Amino acid sequence: MAVRSDARDAAGKYWLLVLMLAAWELSGRLGLVDQAFVPSLSAALSAVFDMWERTHLFMHVMVSLARVTAGLLAAAAVGVPLAYLLGRTLPGLAERIEALLRVFALINPYCVFPLFVVFFGAGELPKIAVLAWVSLWPVLFGTLAGVRGVDPALIRTARSMAAGSSAVFWKVVLPAASPSVFNGMRTGVGMSFFILIAAEMTGATAGLGWIVHSAGALNQVPRIYGAGLCIVLLGVLLNRSLLFFGNGLFFWWKSGTDPLAGVRTEGAARRLGLRSALAAAALFAVAMGVGAYEIWRAEALLNDPGEMPEYRVWAE
Amino acid sequence: MREGPGAGAGPVRAFLRKYACIALFLAAWELMSRGGLVNPVFFPPFSVVVETVWSMTLQGTMLPHVKASLTRALYGFVLAAAAGVPAGLLLGAWHSGLRRHLDMPFEVLSQINPFLLFHVLILFMGIDEAPKIAIVFWTCLWPILFSSMNGASSVNPLLVRAGRAFGLGRAGLLVKIVAPASSPLVLSGLRLALGYSMFMLIAAEMMGASRGLGWLALTTQETFQVNSMYASVVVIAFLGLALDGAFLLAGRRFLAVSREGFMNSAE
Repeated sequence: MAVRSDARDAAGKYWLLVLMLAAWELSGRLGLVDQAFVPSLSAALSAVFDMWERTHLFMHVMVSLARVTAGLLAAAAVGVPLAYLLGRTLPGLAERIEALLRVFALINPYCVFPLFVVFFGAGELPKIAVLAWVSLWPVLFGTLAGVRGVDPALIRTARSMAAGSSAVFWKVVLPAASPSVFNGMRTGVGMSFFILIAAEMTGATAGLGWIVHSAGALNQVPRIYGAGLCIVLLGVLLNRSLLFFGNGLFFWWKSGTDPLAGVRTEGAARRLGLRSALAAAALFAVAMGVGAYEIWRAEALLNDPGEMPEYRVWAE
Repeated sequence: MREGPGAGAGPVRAFLRKYACIALFLAAWELMSRGGLVNPVFFPPFSVVVETVWSMTLQGTMLPHVKASLTRALYGFVLAAAAGVPAGLLLGAWHSGLRRHLDMPFEVLSQINPFLLFHVLILFMGIDEAPKIAIVFWTCLWPILFSSMNGASSVNPLLVRAGRAFGLGRAGLLVKIVAPASSPLVLSGLRLALGYSMFMLIAAEMMGASRGLGWLALTTQETFQVNSMYASVVVIAFLGLALDGAFLLAGRRFLAVSREGFMNSAE
Protein backbone atom coordinates (compact mmCIF):
# COMPACT_ATOMS: atom_id res chain seq x y z
CA MET A 1 0.00 0.00 0.00
CA ALA A 2 2.76 2.40 0.98
CA VAL A 3 4.48 1.87 -2.34
CA ARG A 4 1.30 2.64 -4.15
CA SER A 5 0.64 5.87 -2.29
CA ASP A 6 4.27 6.89 -2.83
CA ALA A 7 3.78 6.34 -6.53
CA ARG A 8 0.61 8.38 -6.47
CA ASP A 9 2.39 11.17 -4.59
CA ALA A 10 5.15 11.21 -7.17
CA ALA A 11 2.61 11.23 -9.97
CA GLY A 12 0.82 14.16 -8.34
CA LYS A 13 4.09 16.04 -8.08
CA TYR A 14 5.53 15.43 -11.50
CA TRP A 15 2.64 15.03 -13.94
CA LEU A 16 2.43 18.73 -14.76
CA LEU A 17 6.15 18.91 -15.47
CA VAL A 18 5.91 15.89 -17.75
CA LEU A 19 2.92 17.48 -19.48
CA MET A 20 4.88 20.68 -20.05
CA LEU A 21 7.77 18.77 -21.58
CA ALA A 22 5.36 16.79 -23.75
CA ALA A 23 3.69 20.02 -24.90
CA TRP A 24 7.12 21.39 -25.81
CA GLU A 25 7.92 18.30 -27.87
CA LEU A 26 4.54 18.16 -29.59
CA SER A 27 4.30 21.85 -30.40
CA GLY A 28 7.48 21.51 -32.42
CA ARG A 29 6.44 18.26 -34.08
CA LEU A 30 2.99 19.52 -35.03
CA GLY A 31 4.42 22.70 -36.48
CA LEU A 32 2.74 25.02 -33.96
CA VAL A 33 6.05 26.80 -33.42
CA ASP A 34 8.92 27.30 -35.81
CA GLN A 35 11.51 24.60 -35.16
CA ALA A 36 14.24 27.00 -36.21
CA PHE A 37 13.51 29.09 -33.11
CA VAL A 38 12.09 26.49 -30.76
CA PRO A 39 13.60 23.11 -31.51
CA SER A 40 11.64 20.30 -29.93
CA LEU A 41 12.72 18.64 -26.70
CA SER A 42 14.16 15.67 -28.56
CA ALA A 43 16.30 17.96 -30.72
CA ALA A 44 17.58 19.72 -27.59
CA LEU A 45 18.34 16.36 -25.97
CA SER A 46 20.18 15.12 -29.01
CA ALA A 47 22.19 18.36 -28.96
CA VAL A 48 23.05 17.52 -25.35
CA PHE A 49 24.30 14.06 -26.35
CA ASP A 50 26.18 15.50 -29.29
CA MET A 51 27.89 18.07 -27.08
CA TRP A 52 28.68 15.36 -24.54
CA GLU A 53 30.42 13.28 -27.16
CA ARG A 54 32.09 15.87 -29.31
CA THR A 55 32.56 19.15 -27.46
CA HIS A 56 33.39 18.24 -23.87
CA LEU A 57 30.04 19.01 -22.27
CA PHE A 58 31.08 17.25 -19.06
CA MET A 59 34.07 19.54 -18.77
CA HIS A 60 31.91 22.65 -19.11
CA VAL A 61 29.43 21.40 -16.51
CA MET A 62 32.20 20.68 -14.03
CA VAL A 63 33.85 24.04 -14.71
CA SER A 64 30.63 25.90 -13.90
CA LEU A 65 29.98 23.75 -10.85
CA ALA A 66 33.50 24.23 -9.52
CA ARG A 67 33.30 27.99 -9.96
CA VAL A 68 30.03 28.35 -8.12
CA THR A 69 31.08 26.07 -5.26
CA ALA A 70 34.44 27.78 -4.89
CA GLY A 71 32.66 31.15 -4.73
CA LEU A 72 30.26 29.88 -2.10
CA LEU A 73 33.03 28.34 -0.02
CA ALA A 74 34.99 31.59 -0.08
CA ALA A 75 31.89 33.59 0.84
CA ALA A 76 31.06 31.23 3.70
CA ALA A 77 34.65 31.18 4.94
CA VAL A 78 34.65 34.98 5.17
CA GLY A 79 31.01 35.77 5.86
CA VAL A 80 30.06 33.30 8.56
CA PRO A 81 32.92 33.96 11.02
CA LEU A 82 32.73 37.69 10.35
CA ALA A 83 29.02 37.77 11.05
CA TYR A 84 29.41 35.71 14.23
CA LEU A 85 32.13 38.07 15.37
CA LEU A 86 30.04 41.14 14.58
CA GLY A 87 26.80 39.77 15.97
CA ARG A 88 28.12 38.18 19.16
CA THR A 89 31.34 39.88 20.18
CA LEU A 90 31.01 43.36 18.73
CA PRO A 91 27.30 44.20 18.49
CA GLY A 92 28.00 47.91 18.89
CA LEU A 93 30.37 47.92 15.94
CA ALA A 94 27.92 45.81 13.93
CA GLU A 95 25.21 48.39 14.48
CA ARG A 96 27.52 51.16 13.36
CA ILE A 97 28.86 49.57 10.20
CA GLU A 98 25.74 47.79 9.02
CA ALA A 99 24.66 50.67 6.79
CA LEU A 100 28.05 50.63 5.10
CA LEU A 101 27.82 46.88 4.56
CA ARG A 102 24.41 47.35 2.98
CA VAL A 103 25.89 49.87 0.58
CA PHE A 104 28.67 47.43 -0.30
CA ALA A 105 26.04 44.81 -1.02
CA LEU A 106 24.56 47.15 -3.61
CA ILE A 107 27.82 47.44 -5.52
CA ASN A 108 27.43 45.30 -8.57
CA PRO A 109 30.73 43.39 -8.91
CA TYR A 110 30.04 43.10 -12.56
CA CYS A 111 30.52 46.82 -13.06
CA VAL A 112 33.88 46.91 -11.30
CA PHE A 113 35.25 43.77 -12.90
CA PRO A 114 38.50 45.53 -13.91
CA LEU A 115 39.19 46.12 -10.22
CA PHE A 116 38.83 42.42 -9.54
CA VAL A 117 41.32 41.81 -12.32
CA VAL A 118 43.69 44.36 -10.75
CA PHE A 119 43.48 42.54 -7.43
CA PHE A 120 43.26 38.93 -8.50
CA GLY A 121 45.02 38.89 -11.85
CA ALA A 122 43.58 37.41 -15.02
CA GLY A 123 42.20 33.90 -15.26
CA GLU A 124 39.96 32.00 -12.86
CA LEU A 125 40.46 33.94 -9.63
CA PRO A 126 38.64 37.19 -10.49
CA LYS A 127 35.60 35.21 -11.67
CA ILE A 128 35.46 33.25 -8.45
CA ALA A 129 35.97 36.47 -6.50
CA VAL A 130 32.98 38.04 -8.26
CA LEU A 131 30.84 35.04 -7.34
CA ALA A 132 32.15 35.13 -3.78
CA TRP A 133 31.26 38.83 -3.58
CA VAL A 134 27.73 38.13 -4.82
CA SER A 135 27.10 35.34 -2.34
CA LEU A 136 28.96 36.98 0.55
CA TRP A 137 26.17 39.44 1.37
CA PRO A 138 23.26 37.03 1.72
CA VAL A 139 25.51 34.75 3.80
CA LEU A 140 26.70 37.64 5.98
CA PHE A 141 23.29 39.18 6.56
CA GLY A 142 21.66 35.79 6.99
CA THR A 143 24.19 34.80 9.63
CA LEU A 144 23.92 38.17 11.33
CA ALA A 145 20.13 37.87 11.49
CA GLY A 146 20.48 34.35 12.83
CA VAL A 147 22.98 35.30 15.53
CA ARG A 148 20.89 38.26 16.60
CA GLY A 149 17.71 36.24 16.61
CA VAL A 150 18.94 33.67 19.13
CA ASP A 151 16.47 33.63 21.98
CA PRO A 152 18.26 35.30 24.93
CA ALA A 153 16.39 33.00 27.30
CA LEU A 154 18.25 30.05 25.76
CA ILE A 155 21.58 31.71 26.41
CA ARG A 156 20.64 32.63 29.95
CA THR A 157 19.43 29.10 30.62
CA ALA A 158 22.73 27.68 29.41
CA ARG A 159 24.64 30.20 31.52
CA SER A 160 22.64 29.35 34.59
CA MET A 161 23.71 25.77 34.09
CA ALA A 162 27.32 26.96 34.31
CA ALA A 163 28.11 26.75 30.61
CA GLY A 164 31.22 28.67 29.66
CA SER A 165 31.28 31.06 26.73
CA SER A 166 32.65 28.45 24.34
CA ALA A 167 29.96 25.98 25.35
CA VAL A 168 27.33 28.66 24.86
CA PHE A 169 28.72 29.29 21.40
CA TRP A 170 28.97 25.66 20.30
CA LYS A 171 25.84 24.33 21.96
CA VAL A 172 23.42 27.26 21.79
CA VAL A 173 24.33 30.07 19.41
CA LEU A 174 25.69 27.96 16.58
CA PRO A 175 22.77 25.53 16.38
CA ALA A 176 20.15 28.23 16.90
CA ALA A 177 21.56 30.44 14.15
CA SER A 178 22.42 27.72 11.65
CA PRO A 179 19.09 27.56 9.79
CA SER A 180 19.39 31.25 9.06
CA VAL A 181 23.01 30.81 7.98
CA PHE A 182 21.95 28.04 5.70
CA ASN A 183 19.13 30.03 4.15
CA GLY A 184 21.60 32.82 3.48
CA MET A 185 23.85 30.33 1.75
CA ARG A 186 20.98 29.07 -0.37
CA THR A 187 20.06 32.59 -1.46
CA GLY A 188 23.72 33.26 -2.17
CA VAL A 189 24.22 30.16 -4.25
CA GLY A 190 21.07 30.88 -6.26
CA MET A 191 22.16 34.43 -7.03
CA SER A 192 25.73 33.52 -7.78
CA PHE A 193 24.61 30.75 -10.12
CA PHE A 194 22.54 33.30 -12.06
CA ILE A 195 25.45 35.70 -12.17
CA LEU A 196 27.89 32.93 -13.07
CA ILE A 197 26.00 32.15 -16.24
CA ALA A 198 25.99 35.84 -17.17
CA ALA A 199 29.70 36.12 -16.40
CA GLU A 200 30.51 33.06 -18.50
CA MET A 201 28.49 34.51 -21.33
CA THR A 202 30.54 37.66 -21.46
CA GLY A 203 34.03 36.91 -20.26
CA ALA A 204 34.97 33.25 -20.20
CA THR A 205 36.24 30.52 -22.46
CA ALA A 206 34.56 27.57 -20.77
CA GLY A 207 31.45 26.76 -18.79
CA LEU A 208 27.76 26.35 -19.52
CA GLY A 209 27.18 30.07 -20.02
CA TRP A 210 29.96 30.12 -22.57
CA ILE A 211 28.29 27.29 -24.52
CA VAL A 212 25.03 29.25 -24.68
CA HIS A 213 26.80 32.37 -25.80
CA SER A 214 28.97 30.77 -28.46
CA ALA A 215 26.06 28.68 -29.73
CA GLY A 216 24.04 31.90 -29.95
CA ALA A 217 26.82 33.58 -31.88
CA LEU A 218 27.09 30.61 -34.26
CA ASN A 219 23.30 30.36 -34.54
CA GLN A 220 23.24 26.76 -33.31
CA VAL A 221 19.79 27.02 -31.78
CA PRO A 222 19.41 23.40 -30.55
CA ARG A 223 22.65 23.80 -28.62
CA ILE A 224 21.30 26.90 -26.85
CA TYR A 225 18.36 24.85 -25.67
CA GLY A 226 20.51 21.84 -24.84
CA ALA A 227 22.89 23.88 -22.71
CA GLY A 228 19.84 25.59 -21.22
CA LEU A 229 18.47 22.22 -20.14
CA CYS A 230 21.78 21.48 -18.43
CA ILE A 231 21.78 24.87 -16.66
CA VAL A 232 18.24 24.41 -15.34
CA LEU A 233 18.97 20.86 -14.25
CA LEU A 234 22.17 21.91 -12.47
CA GLY A 235 20.31 24.77 -10.76
CA VAL A 236 17.57 22.45 -9.53
CA LEU A 237 20.14 19.92 -8.34
CA LEU A 238 22.15 22.55 -6.47
CA ASN A 239 19.05 23.87 -4.76
CA ARG A 240 17.74 20.39 -3.97
CA SER A 241 20.99 19.11 -2.54
CA LEU A 242 21.40 22.15 -0.31
CA LEU A 243 17.83 21.68 0.85
CA PHE A 244 18.46 17.98 1.48
CA PHE A 245 21.44 18.74 3.68
CA GLY A 246 19.62 21.61 5.36
CA ASN A 247 16.68 19.41 6.26
CA GLY A 248 18.93 16.62 7.43
CA LEU A 249 21.34 18.69 9.48
CA PHE A 250 18.94 21.17 11.00
CA PHE A 251 16.25 18.77 12.03
CA TRP A 252 14.71 21.36 14.33
CA TRP A 253 13.72 23.51 11.35
CA LYS A 254 10.07 24.30 11.41
CA SER A 255 8.45 23.59 8.11
CA GLY A 256 8.10 26.65 5.95
CA THR A 257 10.79 28.71 7.65
CA ASP A 258 11.91 30.14 4.35
CA PRO A 259 9.01 32.23 3.10
CA LEU A 260 10.73 33.33 -0.07
CA ALA A 261 11.68 29.96 -1.49
CA GLY A 262 9.58 27.90 -3.81
CA VAL A 263 10.23 24.65 -2.08
CA ARG A 264 9.18 24.21 1.46
CA THR A 265 11.70 23.40 4.11
CA GLU A 266 10.57 20.49 6.20
CA GLY A 267 12.21 19.64 9.46
CA ALA A 268 12.78 16.26 10.97
CA ALA A 269 12.31 14.13 7.88
CA ARG A 270 15.63 12.31 8.04
CA ARG A 271 18.37 13.26 10.35
CA LEU A 272 21.78 12.93 8.75
CA GLY A 273 24.34 11.15 10.84
CA LEU A 274 28.03 11.85 10.96
CA ARG A 275 28.72 9.14 8.42
CA SER A 276 26.48 10.59 5.74
CA ALA A 277 27.85 14.07 6.44
CA LEU A 278 31.36 12.72 5.89
CA ALA A 279 30.26 10.95 2.71
CA ALA A 280 28.77 14.21 1.46
CA ALA A 281 31.97 16.07 2.27
CA ALA A 282 33.99 13.45 0.39
CA LEU A 283 31.69 13.71 -2.62
CA PHE A 284 32.04 17.45 -2.47
CA ALA A 285 35.82 17.25 -2.37
CA VAL A 286 35.90 14.87 -5.33
CA ALA A 287 33.63 17.20 -7.31
CA MET A 288 35.88 20.13 -6.51
CA GLY A 289 38.96 18.17 -7.53
CA VAL A 290 37.43 17.09 -10.82
CA GLY A 291 36.28 20.69 -11.37
CA ALA A 292 39.78 22.06 -10.79
CA TYR A 293 41.19 19.49 -13.19
CA GLU A 294 38.57 20.36 -15.82
CA ILE A 295 39.32 24.08 -15.50
CA TRP A 296 42.95 23.26 -16.12
CA ARG A 297 41.97 21.07 -19.08
CA ALA A 298 39.81 23.82 -20.54
CA GLU A 299 42.82 26.13 -20.47
CA ALA A 300 44.93 23.48 -22.17
CA LEU A 301 42.30 22.89 -24.86
CA LEU A 302 42.12 26.60 -25.47
CA ASN A 303 45.75 26.56 -26.55
CA ASP A 304 45.12 23.60 -28.82
CA PRO A 305 42.84 24.99 -31.51
CA GLY A 306 42.69 21.70 -33.38
CA GLU A 307 40.76 20.27 -30.46
CA MET A 308 37.84 22.69 -30.36
CA PRO A 309 36.83 24.38 -33.57
CA GLU A 310 34.28 26.50 -31.66
CA TYR A 311 37.05 28.29 -29.84
CA ARG A 312 38.62 29.46 -33.06
CA VAL A 313 35.36 30.65 -34.53
CA TRP A 314 34.60 32.46 -31.32
CA ALA A 315 38.00 34.11 -31.20
CA GLU A 316 37.65 35.52 -34.67
CA MET B 1 19.47 47.48 20.28
CA ARG B 2 22.00 48.31 22.90
CA GLU B 3 20.99 50.03 26.07
CA GLY B 4 23.18 52.98 26.89
CA PRO B 5 23.75 56.67 26.46
CA GLY B 6 23.38 56.38 22.67
CA ALA B 7 19.97 54.74 22.73
CA GLY B 8 17.04 57.12 22.57
CA ALA B 9 19.18 60.25 22.63
CA GLY B 10 17.31 61.90 19.81
CA PRO B 11 16.98 61.18 16.14
CA VAL B 12 20.16 63.07 15.14
CA ARG B 13 22.30 60.94 17.39
CA ALA B 14 20.67 57.75 16.15
CA PHE B 15 21.10 58.81 12.56
CA LEU B 16 24.78 59.57 13.11
CA ARG B 17 25.26 56.26 14.87
CA LYS B 18 23.87 54.47 11.88
CA TYR B 19 25.33 56.38 8.98
CA ALA B 20 28.54 57.98 10.25
CA CYS B 21 30.47 54.96 9.02
CA ILE B 22 29.51 55.71 5.42
CA ALA B 23 30.92 59.23 5.74
CA LEU B 24 34.02 57.80 7.41
CA PHE B 25 34.49 55.29 4.62
CA LEU B 26 34.17 57.97 1.95
CA ALA B 27 36.62 60.22 3.82
CA ALA B 28 39.10 57.35 4.13
CA TRP B 29 38.76 56.61 0.42
CA GLU B 30 39.37 60.26 -0.41
CA LEU B 31 42.41 60.56 1.83
CA MET B 32 44.00 57.28 0.79
CA SER B 33 43.68 58.17 -2.84
CA ARG B 34 44.93 61.73 -2.40
CA GLY B 35 47.74 60.61 -0.14
CA GLY B 36 48.87 57.99 -2.62
CA LEU B 37 48.25 55.01 -0.34
CA VAL B 38 46.29 53.41 -3.14
CA ASN B 39 46.94 53.90 -6.80
CA PRO B 40 44.78 56.89 -7.89
CA VAL B 41 44.65 55.48 -11.42
CA PHE B 42 42.53 52.59 -10.14
CA PHE B 43 41.01 54.38 -7.15
CA PRO B 44 40.34 58.01 -8.01
CA PRO B 45 39.34 60.13 -4.99
CA PHE B 46 35.65 60.15 -4.18
CA SER B 47 35.39 63.89 -4.84
CA VAL B 48 36.64 63.32 -8.39
CA VAL B 49 34.00 60.63 -8.87
CA VAL B 50 31.25 62.97 -7.65
CA GLU B 51 32.60 65.68 -9.93
CA THR B 52 32.48 63.23 -12.84
CA VAL B 53 28.87 62.36 -12.06
CA TRP B 54 28.06 66.06 -12.03
CA SER B 55 29.88 66.88 -15.26
CA MET B 56 28.36 63.86 -17.01
CA THR B 57 24.94 65.05 -15.87
CA LEU B 58 25.64 68.49 -17.28
CA GLN B 59 26.90 67.04 -20.55
CA GLY B 60 23.78 64.91 -20.80
CA THR B 61 25.70 61.63 -20.83
CA MET B 62 24.26 60.35 -17.56
CA LEU B 63 20.55 61.02 -17.25
CA PRO B 64 19.43 59.24 -20.45
CA HIS B 65 21.04 56.05 -19.15
CA VAL B 66 19.50 56.46 -15.71
CA LYS B 67 16.15 56.96 -17.34
CA ALA B 68 16.54 53.92 -19.61
CA SER B 69 17.56 51.64 -16.74
CA LEU B 70 14.91 52.90 -14.35
CA THR B 71 12.18 52.52 -16.95
CA ARG B 72 13.19 48.95 -17.71
CA ALA B 73 13.50 47.99 -14.05
CA LEU B 74 10.18 49.52 -13.08
CA TYR B 75 8.28 48.10 -16.05
CA GLY B 76 9.54 44.61 -15.31
CA PHE B 77 8.91 44.97 -11.58
CA VAL B 78 5.38 46.35 -11.95
CA LEU B 79 4.42 43.66 -14.45
CA ALA B 80 5.82 40.96 -12.15
CA ALA B 81 3.95 42.40 -9.17
CA ALA B 82 0.73 42.65 -11.16
CA ALA B 83 1.01 39.00 -12.14
CA GLY B 84 2.65 37.54 -9.05
CA VAL B 85 0.73 39.05 -6.14
CA PRO B 86 -2.82 38.13 -7.26
CA ALA B 87 -1.73 34.71 -8.49
CA GLY B 88 0.17 34.02 -5.29
CA LEU B 89 -2.66 35.17 -3.02
CA LEU B 90 -5.22 33.10 -4.90
CA LEU B 91 -3.02 30.01 -4.94
CA GLY B 92 -2.08 30.37 -1.29
CA ALA B 93 -5.52 31.15 0.05
CA TRP B 94 -7.87 28.88 -1.82
CA HIS B 95 -6.24 26.51 -4.11
CA SER B 96 -3.74 25.00 -1.73
CA GLY B 97 -4.61 21.62 -3.24
CA LEU B 98 -3.19 22.91 -6.49
CA ARG B 99 0.12 23.68 -4.85
CA ARG B 100 0.95 20.01 -4.56
CA HIS B 101 0.83 19.84 -8.34
CA LEU B 102 2.43 23.20 -8.99
CA ASP B 103 5.40 23.10 -6.59
CA MET B 104 7.59 21.03 -8.89
CA PRO B 105 6.94 22.95 -12.14
CA PHE B 106 7.40 26.23 -10.26
CA GLU B 107 10.71 25.06 -8.85
CA VAL B 108 11.98 24.13 -12.29
CA LEU B 109 10.66 27.29 -13.91
CA SER B 110 12.18 29.50 -11.23
CA GLN B 111 15.54 27.93 -12.02
CA ILE B 112 15.35 29.03 -15.64
CA ASN B 113 18.14 31.52 -15.70
CA PRO B 114 17.02 34.98 -16.89
CA PHE B 115 20.15 35.29 -19.01
CA LEU B 116 19.37 32.03 -20.70
CA LEU B 117 15.97 33.45 -21.42
CA PHE B 118 17.69 36.48 -22.88
CA HIS B 119 19.35 34.41 -25.59
CA VAL B 120 16.10 32.70 -26.45
CA LEU B 121 14.03 35.88 -26.35
CA ILE B 122 16.41 37.66 -28.70
CA LEU B 123 15.36 35.08 -31.27
CA PHE B 124 11.76 36.25 -30.93
CA MET B 125 11.82 39.82 -29.78
CA GLY B 126 15.00 41.17 -31.33
CA ILE B 127 17.40 43.24 -29.27
CA ASP B 128 14.93 45.94 -28.35
CA GLU B 129 13.61 46.87 -24.92
CA ALA B 130 11.38 43.80 -24.65
CA PRO B 131 13.98 41.16 -23.74
CA LYS B 132 15.46 43.34 -20.99
CA ILE B 133 12.08 44.00 -19.48
CA ALA B 134 11.36 40.28 -19.76
CA ILE B 135 14.54 39.48 -17.82
CA VAL B 136 13.55 41.82 -15.01
CA PHE B 137 10.01 40.44 -15.06
CA TRP B 138 11.20 36.86 -14.83
CA THR B 139 13.69 37.60 -12.05
CA CYS B 140 11.12 39.49 -9.99
CA LEU B 141 8.22 37.13 -10.58
CA TRP B 142 9.43 34.21 -8.45
CA PRO B 143 10.19 35.90 -5.13
CA ILE B 144 6.93 37.83 -5.44
CA LEU B 145 4.88 34.77 -6.31
CA PHE B 146 6.42 32.55 -3.63
CA SER B 147 6.19 35.12 -0.86
CA SER B 148 2.57 35.96 -1.70
CA MET B 149 1.71 32.29 -1.85
CA ASN B 150 3.37 31.56 1.48
CA GLY B 151 1.91 34.72 3.00
CA ALA B 152 -1.63 33.84 2.00
CA SER B 153 -1.34 30.24 3.12
CA SER B 154 -0.07 31.26 6.56
CA VAL B 155 -2.99 33.57 7.34
CA ASN B 156 -4.53 32.66 10.66
CA PRO B 157 -7.57 30.49 9.82
CA LEU B 158 -9.46 32.00 12.74
CA LEU B 159 -9.42 35.36 10.95
CA VAL B 160 -10.82 33.78 7.82
CA ARG B 161 -13.51 32.00 9.80
CA ALA B 162 -14.42 35.18 11.62
CA GLY B 163 -14.70 37.00 8.31
CA ARG B 164 -16.92 34.27 6.99
CA ALA B 165 -19.09 34.44 10.08
CA PHE B 166 -19.62 38.10 9.37
CA GLY B 167 -20.87 37.19 5.95
CA LEU B 168 -17.92 38.00 3.71
CA GLY B 169 -17.89 36.29 0.33
CA ARG B 170 -14.82 34.94 -1.40
CA ALA B 171 -13.85 38.26 -2.95
CA GLY B 172 -14.51 40.06 0.32
CA LEU B 173 -12.37 37.63 2.25
CA LEU B 174 -9.54 38.04 -0.23
CA VAL B 175 -9.60 41.84 -0.16
CA LYS B 176 -10.43 42.43 3.50
CA ILE B 177 -8.71 39.56 5.30
CA VAL B 178 -6.20 37.59 3.25
CA ALA B 179 -4.51 40.52 1.51
CA PRO B 180 -3.93 42.65 4.63
CA ALA B 181 -2.97 39.68 6.80
CA SER B 182 -0.36 38.49 4.33
CA SER B 183 0.91 41.95 3.45
CA PRO B 184 4.15 41.79 5.48
CA LEU B 185 5.33 38.74 3.58
CA VAL B 186 4.09 40.07 0.25
CA LEU B 187 5.94 43.32 0.84
CA SER B 188 9.15 41.60 1.82
CA GLY B 189 8.92 39.58 -1.39
CA LEU B 190 8.35 42.75 -3.41
CA ARG B 191 11.28 44.42 -1.73
CA LEU B 192 13.60 41.52 -2.42
CA ALA B 193 12.43 41.46 -6.03
CA LEU B 194 13.08 45.17 -6.41
CA GLY B 195 16.64 44.63 -5.25
CA TYR B 196 17.12 41.73 -7.67
CA SER B 197 15.62 43.69 -10.54
CA MET B 198 18.34 46.34 -10.62
CA PHE B 199 21.06 43.75 -10.12
CA MET B 200 19.99 41.54 -12.99
CA LEU B 201 19.15 44.46 -15.23
CA ILE B 202 22.66 45.85 -14.97
CA ALA B 203 24.11 42.50 -16.00
CA ALA B 204 21.59 42.24 -18.85
CA GLU B 205 22.50 45.69 -20.09
CA MET B 206 26.14 44.72 -20.06
CA MET B 207 25.38 41.74 -22.25
CA GLY B 208 23.51 43.49 -24.99
CA ALA B 209 22.21 47.03 -24.99
CA SER B 210 22.96 50.36 -26.53
CA ARG B 211 22.08 52.45 -23.49
CA GLY B 212 21.41 52.08 -19.81
CA LEU B 213 23.68 52.17 -16.78
CA GLY B 214 25.00 48.67 -17.37
CA TRP B 215 25.99 49.62 -20.89
CA LEU B 216 27.64 52.76 -19.53
CA ALA B 217 29.61 50.76 -16.97
CA LEU B 218 30.76 48.33 -19.66
CA THR B 219 31.84 50.90 -22.23
CA THR B 220 33.67 52.97 -19.64
CA GLN B 221 35.45 49.79 -18.50
CA GLU B 222 36.45 48.86 -21.99
CA THR B 223 37.73 52.32 -22.87
CA PHE B 224 39.49 52.59 -19.52
CA GLN B 225 37.66 55.72 -18.39
CA VAL B 226 38.11 54.89 -14.73
CA ASN B 227 36.43 58.03 -13.39
CA SER B 228 33.33 57.45 -15.49
CA MET B 229 33.28 53.79 -14.47
CA TYR B 230 33.23 54.76 -10.82
CA ALA B 231 30.61 57.38 -11.60
CA SER B 232 28.32 54.75 -13.09
CA VAL B 233 28.92 52.36 -10.18
CA VAL B 234 28.14 55.07 -7.63
CA VAL B 235 24.98 56.05 -9.50
CA ILE B 236 23.87 52.40 -9.70
CA ALA B 237 24.42 51.87 -5.97
CA PHE B 238 22.65 55.14 -5.19
CA LEU B 239 19.68 54.18 -7.37
CA GLY B 240 19.47 50.85 -5.57
CA LEU B 241 19.42 52.62 -2.21
CA ALA B 242 16.90 55.18 -3.43
CA LEU B 243 14.53 52.57 -4.86
CA ASP B 244 14.68 50.54 -1.67
CA GLY B 245 14.23 53.63 0.50
CA ALA B 246 11.26 54.81 -1.56
CA PHE B 247 9.71 51.38 -1.32
CA LEU B 248 10.19 51.28 2.45
CA LEU B 249 8.70 54.75 2.86
CA ALA B 250 5.68 53.89 0.75
CA GLY B 251 5.31 50.59 2.54
CA ARG B 252 5.53 52.10 6.00
CA ARG B 253 3.06 54.73 5.06
CA PHE B 254 0.39 52.46 3.73
CA LEU B 255 0.90 49.14 5.41
CA ALA B 256 2.59 47.58 8.34
CA VAL B 257 5.86 46.62 6.73
CA SER B 258 7.87 44.14 8.66
CA ARG B 259 11.02 46.06 9.42
CA GLU B 260 13.21 43.02 9.41
CA GLY B 261 16.20 43.78 7.25
CA PHE B 262 16.26 41.71 4.11
CA MET B 263 19.03 41.42 1.59
CA ASN B 264 20.02 44.62 -0.16
CA SER B 265 18.03 46.77 2.19
CA ALA B 266 18.90 50.35 3.00
CA GLU B 267 18.21 50.00 6.70
